Amino acid sequence: MTEDIISLKNIDYSYYGKIPALKNINLSVKKGEMVAIIGLNGSGKSTLLHIINGLIFPDSGEVLFNGNPVSEKSLSDKNFGIKLRQSMGYIFQNPEIQLFCPTVFDELLFAPLQLNLPVKDAEDRAEKTLSFLGIEYLKDRPVLMLSGGEKKKVAIASVLTMNPDILLIDEPLSSLDPKTQTFFTDLLLELNHAGKTIVFTTHHLDLIDHLQPRVAVLSEEHTIQKTGTASEILNDEEFLISVNLIHEHVHKHENGEHKHYHSHYVFHKH
Amino acid sequence: MENKIPSYLLQPVNDQPEFQKAKRARLSFLDKTIMNTASAVKSIYVQAENASKENVIQRINPYVKLIVMIYSIFIISIVSHLEAQLIITIFIFSLFIIARLKIFRVYKKIFFLATIFGFIVVLPASLNIITPGKIIFNIITINKPLHFWIYTIPQNIGFTENGFKVVSLIFLRIFNSVSFAMLIVFTTSFPSFIKSFKILGVPDTFMMIISLAYKYIFILSRIIEETYFALKSRLSGNIKNSRIRELVSGRIFFIFKKSMLIYENTYYAMVSRGYQGKVLLHSRKKLSSIDFVALIIIVILGIWIIYL
Repeated sequence: MTEDIISLKNIDYSYYGKIPALKNINLSVKKGEMVAIIGLNGSGKSTLLHIINGLIFPDSGEVLFNGNPVSEKSLSDKNFGIKLRQSMGYIFQNPEIQLFCPTVFDELLFAPLQLNLPVKDAEDRAEKTLSFLGIEYLKDRPVLMLSGGEKKKVAIASVLTMNPDILLIDEPLSSLDPKTQTFFTDLLLELNHAGKTIVFTTHHLDLIDHLQPRVAVLSEEHTIQKTGTASEILNDEEFLISVNLIHEHVHKHENGEHKHYHSHYVFHKH
Repeated sequence: MENKIPSYLLQPVNDQPEFQKAKRARLSFLDKTIMNTASAVKSIYVQAENASKENVIQRINPYVKLIVMIYSIFIISIVSHLEAQLIITIFIFSLFIIARLKIFRVYKKIFFLATIFGFIVVLPASLNIITPGKIIFNIITINKPLHFWIYTIPQNIGFTENGFKVVSLIFLRIFNSVSFAMLIVFTTSFPSFIKSFKILGVPDTFMMIISLAYKYIFILSRIIEETYFALKSRLSGNIKNSRIRELVSGRIFFIFKKSMLIYENTYYAMVSRGYQGKVLLHSRKKLSSIDFVALIIIVILGIWIIYL
């Protein structure tokens, strides 16, 4: 049986010690698995990814990476710190924040150079990644002069050059046009088939339908309400209503307007 | 279907008496500042656009450009003949033409800086009180020369020929130095120019900070512009200027808070990609034949102009 590559045990986290963000989170991810964390805005999805990546630390509970605890203390060990950073690539929801280097090529080289990869190898990786994502033409472009979709592609490329085993992706499809959304959906499947472990957050049920990951549902109370396969979650209409991931709303049909529980992508019952 | 829209939303705008007598809020004092900021941001685009042109000067390695700039400013500082300085002026102007820059726009800036620092500030030095000599433009005549301590104020006060020569020389030195620096800045992308400071031993971390600051000026000015438009689109009615100032100062705080959040998240993004307190930057450009040719030409011209 494959071992857990990430394991979260009884995680609690609050902002400023007052505003709860996560309560008693237990979750494990196996090597090569694709896991989606779904929930409404403010349910704690991004905070959970921050914790997995060791950027912030829980108030209580334990995060394990390959069985080793991830804490301020363990990350102060340079070897463990480099190992963790090299193994986990985090793609933030807002690529504007993630891109901080002068040009696209610098952006792609940043991580490999910080992780002490020889310059020639880093350049080689960067060139190949640009070509893999079809963005060679952006190589010398200042990052300030990219469109939203291009920024997202560069953000993903800048993480891929680390060759991480695990990809943490916060809202992969946010603010993207339909064509770029399709590009990213296909890319996630391709990377997963190539053996990468993928953990992403979303509130788009259609993405779950496309990618068929294992799903953990975060409730508005900041707890994991249910985990299961994509079909188990998507077919549990009552549960999705209870966590407000589908809701009653008005919409128009040829013969007029009416109101009912409705999800655009998974099921549409009248 | 039951309609829950509040009744005021169903009322046409023209029927609302409070808006009929309302005047547009005056924001002219803000307009100018924000528009200036926006124009500064736009100039970043212009600079990047110029720098990416495939011209001979644009293609020169930033390291070489930095060395050439330091060398040229040194030559300009030691050349003390007006004729030689004028030759340098013409030479730099021809480089601007080769680089296909918008000459009028750039020279307007150069003239502005050179006039302030090279002409207005040093103009009093051309008076015969400071530089004695033959007066070519008399300003004032007093009854008799005044003497106190080691100083003498002559009877006729005016600009002298020698004084004008000194001022012209200083003006041309500043004019040439500024125009050469502008030529380099406008033909090199900002990031590569910053990276070229590596040759002077500037640490990578410092250059990363400069690059980040450059990025944040850009982002911040965009947030300011958008916040201003949002404010402008919602402000109407008889609002006092003092109230608008209050609103604006509140928004300034909001903008700084927002930029702090961006900074925090960028830091997380850096940590997540292996940042451990010391930045290693990449500088990839190797010297090409154009770089060597440019270097040789400038060195030879510099030596020639000194012995002219």
